[in-house]
Amino acid sequence: MHAIYRKGVKESESATMATIAGVNLSTPRVLAKASDSPKAQIIKSPWLNHPWKKSNQFGAGRMYVRPVAAAPEGLSEKVAESVKKAEETCSGDAVSGECVAAWDEVEELSAAASHARDKKKESDPLETYCKDNPETDECRTYDN
Amino acid sequence: MAAVCTVYTVQSLNSTPTKTHLGFHQKQVVFYSTGKRISSSRRCSNITCSAADGTKTVVIGLAADSGCGKSTFMRRLTSVFGGAAEPPKGGNPDSNTLISDTTTVICLDDYHSLDRTGRKQKGVTALDPRANDFDLMYEQVKAIKDGVAVEKPIYNHVTGLLDPPELIKPPKILVIEGLHPMYDERVRDLLDFSIYLDISNEVKFAWKIQRDMAERGHSLESIKASIEARKPDFDAYIDPQKQYADAVIEVLPTQLIPGDNEGKVLRVRLIMKEGVKYFSPVYLFDEGSTISWIPCGRKLTCSYPGIKFFYGPDAYFSHEVSVLEMDGQFDRLDELIYVESHLSNISTKFYGEVTQQMLKHNDFPGSNNGTGLFQTIVGLKIRDLYEQIISSRVGAPLEATKA
Repeated sequence: MHAIYRKGVKESESATMATIAGVNLSTPRVLAKASDSPKAQIIKSPWLNHPWKKSNQFGAGRMYVRPVAAAPEGLSEKVAESVKKAEETCSGDAVSGECVAAWDEVEELSAAASHARDKKKESDPLETYCKDNPETDECRTYDN
Repeated sequence: MAAVCTVYTVQSLNSTPTKTHLGFHQKQVVFYSTGKRISSSRRCSNITCSAADGTKTVVIGLAADSGCGKSTFMRRLTSVFGGAAEPPKGGNPDSNTLISDTTTVICLDDYHSLDRTGRKQKGVTALDPRANDFDLMYEQVKAIKDGVAVEKPIYNHVTGLLDPPELIKPPKILVIEGLHPMYDERVRDLLDFSIYLDISNEVKFAWKIQRDMAERGHSLESIKASIEARKPDFDAYIDPQKQYADAVIEVLPTQLIPGDNEGKVLRVRLIMKEGVKYFSPVYLFDEGSTISWIPCGRKLTCSYPGIKFFYGPDAYFSHEVSVLEMDGQFDRLDELIYVESHLSNISTKFYGEVTQQMLKHNDFPGSNNGTGLFQTIVGLKIRDLYEQIISSRVGAPLEATKA
């Protein structure tokens, strides 16, 4: 534990800016969330600092808590719905603005779904944690 | 001169001194200093802080259909400059912005004036200029170019709504990616370099099938209908931008396999405008000559369908251009190195840099064909352009003081 704390302190000292000191003196709320605060503070899960990541971290199996962080399942349904709606809208008038806008929405949602799929494919909980906290014991790499 | 110095210190009190580790500080500042930043940037604009000290941002425009920010081209581009580009830490998780040490990538979808519901009501697509706020786009890109941070709106692709803005601090290189980077003339004039990604209809169809058939909601018909419905708007508003681009990457079906419609083997053409400042086109054998080249033979054995290159001058929308074309696929590392050693003006810093970059991202789509190759080369040309611009600016004030 000592080693980590010492390293953390050294980091903040060596960081050249006065602004870092400024951060330390200002609201503790900010300090807790700043990803570069001394590492000794980070004992438990990083998810407490980034609550919205929780729903994504534990995979899409759970019901997503907030509509903003939609799990791929939600997106897939959206895509299917939008395709149906587009087909309905266009059965009336195939060249109307509404029809075109409906298919555009399908395209947008399909792109979002494919991005989400890619992200899910490559999201490894350890990798995500280590991206934010590379100095912690679990994430240290020895390249020499 | 003194006035400029004062302005610079005002900014540096509140923002990062540009000498220090920009990337590191950026992540912090994005989160906590939002409130303070607006007032400081307003103050700054009243004093008209023109960055005469040479820290003006270099702006690159990339026009491409489909979503933004996380696309392969962007990742290759930012990788050439060094460092991985990530969404801003601590901000909106659905942000489209990517930030690395030197580069910030902005998605132009963030300048939608109508959200998804609004577009549905009005019956317009996202491709339509009426759905985008070009005034705001111009204002903000100009501000960033002049070294002023802006609060840029966020368009959430998942919900289809416009989210609260995020702070964008001026980076060394700003890339604006989206459907309309070159549509508005004022924005076009701000770009130091522009690229248009031109995917032919057959290839687009093949790619979209690969992308969407995994979705249960989609069928071949729905994918086709979606492409056809968007085509009129695309042809009217997006396609004409290619005449303004400094470089066009055209992706076509291969000519090596007769009747191929899988879109796996591609013919890719890099169309480079002649006479662009700081940009010298890549060439094969000799500039301005025409040459057809098949690298496979005695020195190099390739598997089916092989590789075919072409280089020559041409005219594109009544501009003089040079076209470098690659048809086929790379199979092995030595093919890549062999090809690289015969290309000229690729602006690498060391022999094998193109190959190294391609290998670094060999899991990206297009890593074995012309798309990956030309995207990487364009990335290197942009790096070269950036370094030339910076050194020319450093030179100018020195001369001014001498005079």
